[in-house]
Amino acid sequence: MLMQLTISGISQGAIYALIALSLTVVYRSTTIVNFGHGDFVMAGAFLSYVLVVLLGVAFIPAAMLAVVAMFLLGLAFSRGLIRPIRGGPHIGFALMCISAGYVFRGIARIVWGREVLPMPRVFEIEPIFIGDLIITGDAVFIISITAIMLVVFFGVLALTDIGKMVQAVYQSARGAQLIGINVDRFNDFTWGIGAALGAIGGILIAPISLLHPDLGASFLIKGFAAMTLGGFGSLYGAVLGALILGLSEQYAGAYINSALIDITAYLVIVLVLFLRPHGLFGRKTVVKV
Amino acid sequence: MMPTASQLRLRTILFWAVPLLLLALPLSTNSYVQFIANSIVIFSLVALGFNFVIGNLGQLAFANTALFGLGAYGSAILVNTFGLPWILSIPLAGLAGAAGGFLASAAALRGIRLYYLAIITLAFGELMRWLYVHGKSVTGGTDGMGVPAQSIFGVSLTDDHAKFYVFLVVAVLLFKSTLNLLRSRIGRSVMAVRENEVATASLGIPTARIIVFAFMWSGFVVGCAGALFALHTSYVFPESFGMLHLIVSFAMVLVGGLGSVIGSVLGAAALTILPEYLRSFPGMEELFFGLIVIAVLLALPDGLASLLRKLSPIFVERYYRE
Repeated sequence: MLMQLTISGISQGAIYALIALSLTVVYRSTTIVNFGHGDFVMAGAFLSYVLVVLLGVAFIPAAMLAVVAMFLLGLAFSRGLIRPIRGGPHIGFALMCISAGYVFRGIARIVWGREVLPMPRVFEIEPIFIGDLIITGDAVFIISITAIMLVVFFGVLALTDIGKMVQAVYQSARGAQLIGINVDRFNDFTWGIGAALGAIGGILIAPISLLHPDLGASFLIKGFAAMTLGGFGSLYGAVLGALILGLSEQYAGAYINSALIDITAYLVIVLVLFLRPHGLFGRKTVVKV
Repeated sequence: MMPTASQLRLRTILFWAVPLLLLALPLSTNSYVQFIANSIVIFSLVALGFNFVIGNLGQLAFANTALFGLGAYGSAILVNTFGLPWILSIPLAGLAGAAGGFLASAAALRGIRLYYLAIITLAFGELMRWLYVHGKSVTGGTDGMGVPAQSIFGVSLTDDHAKFYVFLVVAVLLFKSTLNLLRSRIGRSVMAVRENEVATASLGIPTARIIVFAFMWSGFVVGCAGALFALHTSYVFPESFGMLHLIVSFAMVLVGGLGSVIGSVLGAAALTILPEYLRSFPGMEELFFGLIVIAVLLALPDGLASLLRKLSPIFVERYYRE
């Protein structure tokens, strides 16, 4: 029982990790929290649905196309809607993100209405039996894809010049500009990466949950809960926080009350911010004047 | 450009003349138009309360929908379960909203600001919605609960024309008190926190408490609006306080003008009338409000109120002397 819950917790946590990570990437380089990110995730999932079900593209190329399309959409969003309001108050960015999210959701609802769409199964991966323990094919698929994405992501950050640029922009946008980094274009790129990572999360969740236009809202909260838990802005923290969240949802749902699965994330946010505002792994920030 | 003394007098006259003239409105409306007019009054209060936090205080918040729901459910429960006259439930719904505002923002006392605070308010809003759905014995769950017909001083409040007068009186009271509050030491502290919290704190102003207070006042106004809403639609159910309501209130505040009291009325009026015919197409409203906010952010960041200010200095809202 405990092991079984642990497996499903990790597989849920893997998806939250992708979402929390994509939020964090954008937050670190632009200091903008994408409050519409859940809808970016939803849009990615719907794009892959359109490609697979309506246009008959095979899953792998369809998923890749959807991710690339979401990358371009994120880039265009940053270029077209975030850059022009750069000088304004910070609240403007959040409102821009929220509104873009509503636009996506509105479009999805106009096309699909109240329909709840099943995404066809990708592969029938045989479940793995270890004693009493059953690891479903979906869990294997989600965990392995996420693991690969994480290795690539952190590998790029640690080993390449792009990683150094990310670090430079995070520490000081102005300093980065001085050494010749085009911060604006870099930020557009980051938005693209954020949207693409979120889309991967959406595409992975689509086959095991159902697709509907309101899919994003709950994922946004899960992403936030994971980020808050891990320390806002910390990349490793986001991943760890996501895993902890995924596990605690499953444990709380099984051992306390199944209705708790829905609100664990909210409770986590409230508790963490009250008890340890800088998260489990974050550093305390000090206001400097 | 600052308004002159005579312009200020004119402004005071205008403030009282507008609701006085509106008293005549029910004489010329059919019940559909009156229903929309009532919605405008209620939503201008929703926008006023929301604007107090995101415009005047400058903190991002998502709790507005939850506070509105608290007021509406609070009023419906008081009237339905406890048999209280509806009119008495208005201030109590306001207090429920204020308590909600306190809970949503109490983390500010722990030094939490901006995005963190916004996320807490978002979580708070979702928790409330979860409660409406799962607290079936008190809230009626997804079916919601009805508000029985009401009367005050023997006058029946079943007709939209009659409701309008009550709504108008409540709205005038809340608008006047919000304006007075903004002009007070506390109100100016609220706006000072928006400009620079560290500098405000250095003047000895307890900024965290100011933030919590602003959320509570916002909750009070929105909670009262919720009580009006409960009678207005004579039915409350969770869907009225969902995600759509959130973007509607954001859009009203933005279209009207962040931090502008006149703007709250303008935004509510514009966005209650315009999308009436969109209601029957699922998704259209979300698309419409989303695009409106994007357009305003890009083209008219200070909202309709900024156009009025250009027209005449009467509409300049400034709560301090040079």
